[in-house]
Amino acid sequence: MLREVLRFELRQQLKSPLFWVIALAFAALAFAAAGSDHIRVGGGIGNIHRNAPFVVAQMLLIFTVIGMFLVAVFVAGAALRDFDTGMAEMIFATPVSRRAYLGGRFVAGYLASVVVIVFVAVGLYLGVLMPWVDPARLGATSLAAYGYGFAVFVLPTMFFIAAFLFLLATLTRSMLGTYVGLIAFFVLWQVALTLIRDDIDHWTLASLIDPFGVAAFDVVTRYWSANDRNTRLPQVAGLLLANRVLWFSVGAAMVATTLAVFRLNREPLRLWPRRRRAAAGSETPDAARGRLVVPPVTLRIDAAARFQQFVKLARFETRSVLLGVPFLVMLGFAMANLGGFVANSNEIYGTRVYPVTHLMIEAMNGSYNFLLVIIVAFYAGELVWRERGARVNEVTDAFPLSDWIPLLSKLAALAAVIGTFLLVGSIETMVYQLIRGYSHIEPGLYLSNIALADLQFLLIGTLMLFLQVLSNNKFLGYLLTVIFLISKIVLTQLHFDHHLYDFGGAPQAKYSDMNGYGHFLAGHLWFRAYWACLAVAMMVVAALYWLRGTSQGWKERTRIARQRFDAPARALLAASLVAFAGLGVWIFYNTNIINHYVPGDLKNERDASYEKQYRQYKDLPQPRIVDVKIDMDIFPHERHVEVRGHYHLINRSPVAIRDLHMRLPIHMDLVDVRFPEHSVVSDDRDLGYTIYRLAQPLAPGAAMDFDFTLRYLSRGFRNTPDDHRVVDNGTFIDSSNFPHFGYDDQGQLEDRNERRRYGLGPVPRMPKIDDESARRNHLIGIDSDWVTFETTVSTVPDQIALAPGYLQKEWTANGRRYFHYKQDTPILNFFSFQSARYAVKRDRWKDVALEVYYDPQHAYNIDRMIYAARKSLEHYSQVYSPYQFRQLRILEFPGYERFAQSFANTVPFSEAIGFIADLRKPEDIDYVFYVTAHEVAHQWWAHQVIGAYLQGVTMLDETFAQYSALMVQEHEYGWPRMRKFLKYELDRYLRDRSGELVEEMPLSLVENQQYIHYQKGSLVMYSLKDYLGEDVVDRTLARFDEETAFQMPPYTTTREFLTDLRQEAGPKWSPLIADLFEKLTVFDNRVVSATAKHRSDGKYDVTLEVHTSKVYVDGIGKESPATVSDPIDVGVFGQAPDGQEQHQKVLYLAKRSVPDGNSSITLTVDSVPFEVGLDPYNKLIDRVSDDNRMRVTLTQ
Amino acid sequence: MLEIRDLSKTYANGVQALRNVSLQIPTGMFGLLGPNGAGKSSLMRTIATLQDPDSGSIQLDGLDVLANKPAARRLLGYLPQEFGLYPKVSAEAMLDHFAVLKGVVARGERRALVEALLQQVNLWDVRKRKLGTYSGGMRQRFGIAQALIGSPKLIIVDEPTAGLDPEERNRFLNLLAEIGENVVVILSTHIVEDVTDLCPRMAIISQGRVLLSGQPAEALSALQGRVWRKAIAHSDIEACKSRFVVLSTRLSGGKTIIHVLADALPEEGFTAVAPDLEDVYFGQLRQQAATRSAA
Repeated sequence: MLREVLRFELRQQLKSPLFWVIALAFAALAFAAAGSDHIRVGGGIGNIHRNAPFVVAQMLLIFTVIGMFLVAVFVAGAALRDFDTGMAEMIFATPVSRRAYLGGRFVAGYLASVVVIVFVAVGLYLGVLMPWVDPARLGATSLAAYGYGFAVFVLPTMFFIAAFLFLLATLTRSMLGTYVGLIAFFVLWQVALTLIRDDIDHWTLASLIDPFGVAAFDVVTRYWSANDRNTRLPQVAGLLLANRVLWFSVGAAMVATTLAVFRLNREPLRLWPRRRRAAAGSETPDAARGRLVVPPVTLRIDAAARFQQFVKLARFETRSVLLGVPFLVMLGFAMANLGGFVANSNEIYGTRVYPVTHLMIEAMNGSYNFLLVIIVAFYAGELVWRERGARVNEVTDAFPLSDWIPLLSKLAALAAVIGTFLLVGSIETMVYQLIRGYSHIEPGLYLSNIALADLQFLLIGTLMLFLQVLSNNKFLGYLLTVIFLISKIVLTQLHFDHHLYDFGGAPQAKYSDMNGYGHFLAGHLWFRAYWACLAVAMMVVAALYWLRGTSQGWKERTRIARQRFDAPARALLAASLVAFAGLGVWIFYNTNIINHYVPGDLKNERDASYEKQYRQYKDLPQPRIVDVKIDMDIFPHERHVEVRGHYHLINRSPVAIRDLHMRLPIHMDLVDVRFPEHSVVSDDRDLGYTIYRLAQPLAPGAAMDFDFTLRYLSRGFRNTPDDHRVVDNGTFIDSSNFPHFGYDDQGQLEDRNERRRYGLGPVPRMPKIDDESARRNHLIGIDSDWVTFETTVSTVPDQIALAPGYLQKEWTANGRRYFHYKQDTPILNFFSFQSARYAVKRDRWKDVALEVYYDPQHAYNIDRMIYAARKSLEHYSQVYSPYQFRQLRILEFPGYERFAQSFANTVPFSEAIGFIADLRKPEDIDYVFYVTAHEVAHQWWAHQVIGAYLQGVTMLDETFAQYSALMVQEHEYGWPRMRKFLKYELDRYLRDRSGELVEEMPLSLVENQQYIHYQKGSLVMYSLKDYLGEDVVDRTLARFDEETAFQMPPYTTTREFLTDLRQEAGPKWSPLIADLFEKLTVFDNRVVSATAKHRSDGKYDVTLEVHTSKVYVDGIGKESPATVSDPIDVGVFGQAPDGQEQHQKVLYLAKRSVPDGNSSITLTVDSVPFEVGLDPYNKLIDRVSDDNRMRVTLTQ
Repeated sequence: MLEIRDLSKTYANGVQALRNVSLQIPTGMFGLLGPNGAGKSSLMRTIATLQDPDSGSIQLDGLDVLANKPAARRLLGYLPQEFGLYPKVSAEAMLDHFAVLKGVVARGERRALVEALLQQVNLWDVRKRKLGTYSGGMRQRFGIAQALIGSPKLIIVDEPTAGLDPEERNRFLNLLAEIGENVVVILSTHIVEDVTDLCPRMAIISQGRVLLSGQPAEALSALQGRVWRKAIAHSDIEACKSRFVVLSTRLSGGKTIIHVLADALPEEGFTAVAPDLEDVYFGQLRQQAATRSAA
């Protein structure tokens, strides 16, 4: 019987065109994802093969999860079909058993779903075989990976999904209910993941509660190197196995539940009894009725009446949607989702920021982005099909109601849906702000966001209504909607990124507390207006094609549309199309004629052509800039800057210089340039590269002046909101916007696949550490050593303009405010100008003026910054060398960028980090203190000691700044607190190294790889300090500083530092130094078991079984075994009164030699041990940091 | 006065729903009689502006309905054969909503109208109940109430009595009779008695063709003396069918009664009966079938 039902059911499934549409669409998507870079679904990047086992398993898993929404059609459809078609009564009257009926349908739905993923697998397999796929990006085809993917992920996950859908469908007896349940479940899943994903303490939980196994897969493979990903698949054990077993069992339980609750009768299961009102009042007998008298009424069709009809109908539609259960459920889940987003966004090192309104709004927009589009798509379909679904159209279609009224009222209901989501979201975030004790709520900002966002979603909603009306088939309408959404993504991937053809698109209206919406709003609104015009035209067409009466073919619909196309419709359509075209021209004029529009591929092409044309000049001698004088006028309101600059250049090379190669970013207009007699050899404005030929070559040692006038003009608006150098409040323009000389390899294409596309060779790497010739240049620029610097900068009267140097004079003239700054000692040719309406906090440390220039809204952490600056100056000047300047200034700039950067005695600091950090919880990591200390440390490590531009150079500034800041932090907060910090650093290092595109280098050879010079740098230096002692490290750094500060070429290298270090440390530490700086060393330290015995004398004997092993790893992750030689921390800890690890009492902590492999250690401690650890503070690099500690079991 | 001229309609699947249908329908009840699938609903929907014919015209008091759909809709009340109502809305709210959609935007006027209509169709006492709880008869009465909004000149009711119990049916037909006094009411049905009881004029339609149109009395007189009745055994039906033009067979008290059409006594045992409309109806259908098989 079961087999009969199954066979019948399967035939039904496979006969359905829908099945084939979905299967083929998925196969095509998988094919495209595997065979091109334009669609990304997980996949292989960098050194990871496109067909690596890891990639195959991951893609199958992701497609299974995405597929959930579509296979709902098969599974729930199978459960519901008999109810929908009214066959149920007949079927239930037959003697079919419950198990056969349900089982057959379930298995058929499940199999159909799995077959879809089989199609995906075929698409993946074929995708990588295509001739256009670069063979260098393929490994051996691993059929085992497909088998693994199906066995471990697809089959169990799909089983869970199918069981869940089947249960939902059986319980709700409605497709709508099933979808609502599914969306709710999906959102909950997202929330749960968001809540715990970023918190490294909750990974185990995350991997268990994720029914799809995505999180488990993620956690298990988190730190895998490219080589691992190319060759391995995770073992089905531990977390992964637990997850699979758990959710397969849950699936089985759900199937059992379905069997139990399913009843072969028509009434759907009710979770609560329906309130049944007694049939109200019996009807009056006919006799009581009088003659038929219907009062006369007027049927009006005038404009006012139509408007009233529209309002009434819009209210009716809106109410029906907003009071519906699906809406309330979706709203509830959106709120839950938003709550998760809001509570977890913007954490840095686990420390939260103040919930400032614009961040709340960003969180809301971010959490709604995808969700609300889906909801709008859903309701567009529901609303268009509402009358026909309820068959009310049979009645109302014959009413004298204009065709556009129902359509517009549906649009209004859609707007109300969106508005309600935004309003409720705003209220929720306001409540959150209050709960967090933050009272600076900005209702105006909330309102303007509601307006902007409502328009955004409504435009998409309009398109969806249009598609539903035109397609005249709900499923086809949804399919077209999905195609539209996918096409949006694909177009972007293909670098078709102009919003002129991205329906509803507009450059983001970026918001910053300092600058408000600024100039970004105008461009945003122009684009929105442009699309709104098209939306109006689409509504006119939709009204013409609005279906009335019987379903008809296209021909007939077009004939009717033509009938309806009367003068007003013509006028409106024409007007909206003319306005659309007019605005399009206006936008094109703004974005492409008076501004540069450079799509992503053109950008890549230009980068490639820059390298192809000019890399030949890489080593061409060029003069050095030795003196810089800049007069700059900043016009923040007009977003306009005038620059008159003067350079003094010297030829420090041994040969005469004939050609001057000048680079200038293309957004800067070169008004005028004056230097000794010359001609122009070439002037490439697209790449900003000009070659001048001097009439009289510049002899070695000779000097010349170079004067220039530059202009930065903001004209109109742009397609992307990336132009934020000069803004109304918060201008930040740095020295890269001024002329430079010689070929600079910073602008080269890095992505090796893009390089191959443009026929470029392998990624050019940094000069090797042995390259003596490279030592003539330091990290900051190739056209200068140290310069003298002086500037006069002017701005509007209510702003303060700043640049490095000491303020000589400040005055007002012609309604502008002037500042004259002069730097009396040489600095790097690296400076910035800022102008904003600042509040200023001043303090002193010894003879150094400490100043923070900040936005008055962000006064929270100013004292903290000053304090950190004082502590840092104190520590560094005592340990390394005296501070070379008489001032130190921290300057806030708008949060368009999220960094802090150290110029000479001047530290621009983004409003997005630090200024709004919420440091009220004492146990949180104080990253304001940390970042300030780091930036201050750069006054030594960069502005005193600067390395040669070759391998390892960024270790000399970034790693040393990390270490310096760590030490200030440790002196301030004590070392137990450092573990939390280092754990974050370790996690980030391990995670980012698996995303390495080229080659992971040892620290001393780092090639400007952030995860190495920052994160690994912190860990290495802390380890070093731990083994050698702080005094040895400090002594070495001080010595190195003394030897190299303010040096001229040849510049120093990490090799010189390591020589110093080996001398200071003594030969016994040489292997350790090699492990830390010159090799990639990875440990596996863990406690296997820990027991303790209470002794008769009151002490405790603690026995630890531990494991340690060490491997060396090469640049792409291949491992070779090594022997553990250096001692490792062993610790025993008592329980903390508050349960926090950092407050645990240290009962024992010492470095001990631990033999390779497993071993046993016995220790005696004075009081009750709670936890033990091998490398308990995670000072060594270890892929699994959590198993370094273990609770102690007390035995008798 | 509704004038239908030469309406034809062929659906995309090849079904010819209407073939040169022409009818003249004066004020009063007009019965449109035909078996299932005869094209009644197609005709009704076409008159109700819900579908366009391939050819032909419809004039309502001189108004070209097909060319002026919006104007025609203002003169129209339509109760479709199958329709839905929002189950969670009360009758009063729904009717009010419909009144707005029809153009009764003045609030006071609308309120009075809704009350009067609900009173007339005897739903006033249950006006607050959700439509989902209504019985079939109540739904039909609600349907006629909405069709009456705005005093239409033409009311189209498509198979309104199907599925109603006798009492509901009676009540409904009474209501229709009252309405039919002043306006054109087209009642489509496959139940002969509906027409017999109510309609001064009628048409019989089958396979998209009008077989007969006029007053029932005229049709009856044409059959006068030609309808014969006999009680036979059930097993004899086939034999009778092959020998006579059998109009109908019906069970009565356990016996099978057949009506046959013949100009003279067909056979011993038959008795003459006065023809009723059902005989007319079946007579027309048999005749059509005979013509077709002959052709």
